[in-house]
Amino acid sequence: MSQAVRIETRGAPLARPVTRKISWAWLGLAPFFLFAILFLLWPSSSLIIGGFQDPTGNFTLKNISDLFTPSILNSYGLSIQISAVTAIAGALFGFLLAYAAILGGLPRWIRTALMTLCGVASNFAGVPLAFAFIATLGRTGFLTAFLRNTFGFDPYQVGFNLYNFWGLALTYMYFQFPLMVLIMAPALDGLKHEWREASENLGANSWQYWRYIALPILLPSLLGAMILLFGNAFGAYATAYALTGGTLNLITISIGQQIAGNVLYNPNLGYALALGMIVIMAVCIGGYTWLQSRTARWLR
Amino acid sequence: MAFLELTNVRKSFGQVNAVESFNLKVERGELVSFLGPSGCGKTTTLRMIAGFELPTAGSVQINGADLTYVPPNKRNVGMVFQSYALFPNMTVADNIGFGLRIAKKPAREIKPRVEEMLALIHMPGLGNRYPYQLSGGQQQRVALARALAFSPQVLLLDEPLSALDAKIRVSLRGEIRSIQQKLGITTIYVTHDQEEALSLSDRVVVMNNGHIEQVGAPFEIYNFPTTEFVAQFVGTLNTLSAQVQDVGDKRLVVDGQAIKSAHALEGARVGEKVSISIRPERISFYSEVQKVNRMECAVENIAFLGSIVRIQVRTGANVFYMDTFNNPFLELPKLGDKVQITFSAEAVLVLRQSA
Amino acid sequence: MKKTNFWAWLWIVLGAVYFFLPLYGTLDFSLREQRGILSLLAYQNVLNDPHFRNSFAFSATMAAATIVIGLLLIVPTAYWVHLRLPQARPIVEFITLLPFVVPAIVLVFGFIRIYSGPPLALTNSAETTNILLMFGYIVVALPYTYRSVDAGLRAIDVRTLTEAAQSLGAGWFTVLFRIIFPNLRVALLSSAFLTFAIVVGEFTLANLLNRPAFGPYMVLLGQDRAYEPAALSIMSFALTWAAIGLIQWFSRGAQGQGQLAGTR
Repeated sequence: MSQAVRIETRGAPLARPVTRKISWAWLGLAPFFLFAILFLLWPSSSLIIGGFQDPTGNFTLKNISDLFTPSILNSYGLSIQISAVTAIAGALFGFLLAYAAILGGLPRWIRTALMTLCGVASNFAGVPLAFAFIATLGRTGFLTAFLRNTFGFDPYQVGFNLYNFWGLALTYMYFQFPLMVLIMAPALDGLKHEWREASENLGANSWQYWRYIALPILLPSLLGAMILLFGNAFGAYATAYALTGGTLNLITISIGQQIAGNVLYNPNLGYALALGMIVIMAVCIGGYTWLQSRTARWLR
Repeated sequence: MAFLELTNVRKSFGQVNAVESFNLKVERGELVSFLGPSGCGKTTTLRMIAGFELPTAGSVQINGADLTYVPPNKRNVGMVFQSYALFPNMTVADNIGFGLRIAKKPAREIKPRVEEMLALIHMPGLGNRYPYQLSGGQQQRVALARALAFSPQVLLLDEPLSALDAKIRVSLRGEIRSIQQKLGITTIYVTHDQEEALSLSDRVVVMNNGHIEQVGAPFEIYNFPTTEFVAQFVGTLNTLSAQVQDVGDKRLVVDGQAIKSAHALEGARVGEKVSISIRPERISFYSEVQKVNRMECAVENIAFLGSIVRIQVRTGANVFYMDTFNNPFLELPKLGDKVQITFSAEAVLVLRQSA
Repeated sequence: MKKTNFWAWLWIVLGAVYFFLPLYGTLDFSLREQRGILSLLAYQNVLNDPHFRNSFAFSATMAAATIVIGLLLIVPTAYWVHLRLPQARPIVEFITLLPFVVPAIVLVFGFIRIYSGPPLALTNSAETTNILLMFGYIVVALPYTYRSVDAGLRAIDVRTLTEAAQSLGAGWFTVLFRIIFPNLRVALLSSAFLTFAIVVGEFTLANLLNRPAFGPYMVLLGQDRAYEPAALSIMSFALTWAAIGLIQWFSRGAQGQGQLAGTR
């Protein structure tokens, strides 16, 4: 008994400063955490919770099951399609560009210029981008008029339409492939010259080098970049809204309509729509982070 | 006919000759190292043997076949890089087996060969590790195994130890030498570290400014350097300014003190100023041994280097070192003391300028 | 070698066409408001439109507020994490990654759900909605701002610098304002320009919170005019270019990856 007391009194002066030091240090992050809770965590979690509630606040899975009605599934499907198409095409084109600029044996200034242009283009999105494409490829746009007047070729006669799926995809590509270039350039730079020489030294030709070494090393970055591109297009709202005025039934457009109150149905279903988006984006970013850590581990 | 033969090899980058008039014959099973400061052309020469650089002129022959313009992946020459260059996406076993896999060897041949190589580098059972899980020394051993696994005709090592810690460097260089002797593989070893070159080579090629200064066994290179560059670069060398006193008698004067050289002073005139050089380990205290030459100097500094003690002395404008073996009963002079030093006439080299 | 060069050039040229053609098209289009001649009429119309000036001024003010409040929030946080709480790094980094998971459209939905009624009915007045909008912008810019500041802190090794300054007798204030901030200048300026570009062009948050910002103004104009939107597009492209150009100019020499941002 007396021994226990002695240990306690001995321990106390030691323990108190330690706990106080920790709590003070964490207090330094209090403003940031408060901000994150108020303007990020609470709003998103309220949507997630709302997705599982009926209008009177009781728990229900009806909203979630209602997501699987054809019109909503179409929305998700369309968003996923356009994101996948622009992610794959953007990744392909962006990779080829980055490869050309970095390993293609071109003058150094090409690379500098490309990186600057991609920095600008990947940030040039939203409403102005939509306007630029309308002015260029709209029915009376510059390129449309040029093709019609010079070659007698009207893209709109052969089924092209800027305001449908493929037109929007073409517009998204403007910020998708530069983003790919920006992500892949450091990865391509990370390919060590010695790996190529070592593989040649061991008898491999150029194709075998790409097949067995370069592509496997780049694969996590490539896939990770594609996921990021996918998420990038999936969350896009302003570009699609300004270009199609809401006629293309993307999931972001649906949520926008829900917020604006244009559709008179259950707001909790709207929360479920948002929940679905959060889930898909979380899977994307989770996958991206995982692939990143995998590459980082290799190339340490 | 030598096994590896470089004939009149020259390599120019624009106006600059990185390597010129390089002639070398390497016998089968020999380990030859290229030693020189950075930028002397040793790595460029190695890369020409590997095929990563094309010579501007001259030829590279291995075992009688002209390989000068054969692409690197058709040469059957193994190379170990300074930065290891292990493929990070492959396990140790896959790295080692890569050359065999490219050569389309069946898996049942590759597997035992990889095991054999892992045993050779004392890393059995580590075949499933990835390069990032290995230490630098282990990575370089894997790189060595990878370069040997496909039984190349020649092994090339490009400063393989310079990225490693001092201790590992010494142990691994012994290991490289013993593996090389066990396999009897013809090897070229590029290094800027003279101790490394001297300790593991059959012959050393000392290079400077793109050309060969001297080729010879380590003993020869160290004890009988033929140019001032070699003498300076290999080992520590004291250079003293002297005046010729008597050509026939080979007598010189250093700061008013007469000394004798055993080497001929051909073409020199009486009163001419020349440079002479003496290795620090060839100078002793006169109180311990007595040789032909005796000089009085002042002790300026004493550095304790472990097995030896290096003493810096001065006479007039000449500052130089003498080495003496360390032992617990050594009586060292104090700073500022006047000491008598001694050295033989053979130790006094009168060097010609290198080309 | 020759063959590689041909393909490399081909891809580069294609990329350049994709990049410049819409810009050239838009520029050309924006100059054709008057039939048959090239004129700056569309630009004059835009610049003379009081709505343009008001909405741009509103967005620029919001951007300034976002930059100041955002940096005041993020720089001390990142500094504190570097210096005192490395164990908090994973959670802070996780939070800064969340805006990628929660797109702007979802974020604003959540804002409206929470802040349009008690206890914190921020959307009831214009002033409090502006505050909400500003915090929304900080969230949208958070990943880029934090990354930029974090990279800046990493590059200067704050711990050693702080300890060196303290060992020379400097207090906390001196450390922060004489040592840390000046050394972070490039990172702070970069994130400021990027935030400015993001906020001025932002549409989603401003539109759905119903504020008279530049983004919604552009959409509104796009609905009933043809040439003026093209002029606006060229102007905002110039703005983006200026922001990125300034970032690159300030960070030349520094190892800087491209800045990935924007409101889609």
